[in-house]
Amino acid sequence: MTEVQAAQRAAAFEARIAAGEKIEAGDWMPDEYRRQLIRMIGQHAHSEYVGMLPEGAWIDAAPTLRRKLILVAKVQDEAGHGQYLYHAAETLGATRAEMLDALLEGRAKYSSVFNYPTLTWADVGMIGWLVDGAAIKNQLMLAQCSYGPYSRAMVRICAEETFHHLQGREMILTYASGTPHQRAMAQDALDRWWWPALMMLGPHDADSPNSPQLKAWRVKTKSNDEVRQEFLDEHAPELLAAGLTIPDDDLRFDEETRHWRHGSIDWAEFWRVVKGDGPCNAERLAARRAAHDDGRWVREALAAHAARASQRASE
Amino acid sequence: MTVDGQLPRWEVFKQDASSKAHAAVGSVHAADAEHALLMARSVFARRPSAVSLWLAPRWAVHEFTREQLAEALATPGTQLAAPMRYRVFIKSSDRRSMAAYEHRGEVVASGTSAALRAATPDELPLGMWLVEDAAVIASAPADAEAWFAPASDKRYKQQSEYAVSVKRHPATREGT
Repeated sequence: MTEVQAAQRAAAFEARIAAGEKIEAGDWMPDEYRRQLIRMIGQHAHSEYVGMLPEGAWIDAAPTLRRKLILVAKVQDEAGHGQYLYHAAETLGATRAEMLDALLEGRAKYSSVFNYPTLTWADVGMIGWLVDGAAIKNQLMLAQCSYGPYSRAMVRICAEETFHHLQGREMILTYASGTPHQRAMAQDALDRWWWPALMMLGPHDADSPNSPQLKAWRVKTKSNDEVRQEFLDEHAPELLAAGLTIPDDDLRFDEETRHWRHGSIDWAEFWRVVKGDGPCNAERLAARRAAHDDGRWVREALAAHAARASQRASE
Repeated sequence: MTVDGQLPRWEVFKQDASSKAHAAVGSVHAADAEHALLMARSVFARRPSAVSLWLAPRWAVHEFTREQLAEALATPGTQLAAPMRYRVFIKSSDRRSMAAYEHRGEVVASGTSAALRAATPDELPLGMWLVEDAAVIASAPADAEAWFAPASDKRYKQQSEYAVSVKRHPATREGT
């Protein structure tokens, strides 16, 4: 292909995106578009997969049957959402084996927020309200993505995940208007999850080198700071209205712009946690590796059964 | 397949109601047909809208984007293959949705090239999948009630169960 043809191809691709068309698996796409999508979708899939762990730890201790049913369903959803996303990455040529190896060997990134511990039952509610709340803002944005399989996975995930957010909000609102002990639990959970939730939406736009190209390709339709602003504008007033204190002395409502403003985020902590040195990184990976190893006999049995059945069929 | 590699991939098509078409929703990895159906139910039917699942092994699914469709239709096809039945799935819209490729019927043709010619409507669709009919497995109609109805009773998965409003606290300055 000549340079002119390559330029025409790239221009045709960008025109399709500008016209609002969805790119599908077999379409021509720039190598960098494919590479960035595999990177993003892989990290997103790993986040769903690892995201089962912090809350899964509380299933046994759920205080009522209703809360236990809700939590089991939520953790099961995260497993399913990981499956939708691994599928979307596969359509671009990635394989599940490679992606899982990268996760288990500690080479793949996943959301920083899942490397914080769940110390009390109220954390389950606060994760639903804040972490799922932030994730939904991001995912609603990604549902507009120019890559069809990723966009469709996001639409399905958002539809299912809305209840994750609302059950957490309901739980925290209940505790925030409950006994002094319950109110203290809700406040303690907010103190510990507020900053990780703000951070999980990623570095500021000025420190996010991939963002302009991703926006031009409509892989992302909003920047990290735009999504963080949406999250803040929805959650700050509701948390305050519930009588909770947001652990940010600089938090304020800007009358001029009609937006909430947060104080400065500790990005050193964010990068430490993303790069493997958070409170629970080692524990999370160890749990995933143990699950992988414990499941080996099931995979071996399935493979042996399938092999024998196909041998019988050919006899 | 290696045990610590990955099991074969199966494409999953879900039907939300008997009046609707099956649509491609994603894939699962499974050792055999029975395992694949169970995986598909767990992954794609945790919510009420499912009445039937079709699955096809990856090798039996032939995908064509609009670009590939135009190219394939412009290339003379070979007719060496024996006639075979294909299920035809068409993508007709780029609007925001959970699924894009929907079942539109069947064609019998000698090879995918002839099947594409037979299945392509006058107006070129945004994409087409041809699925080899002989390789398709389906959830049993007799199992539909046991497999799909329980999801309807799990009302705690629905957002309407959480209609909790926050009373505005006087300390908040929003909306003043």
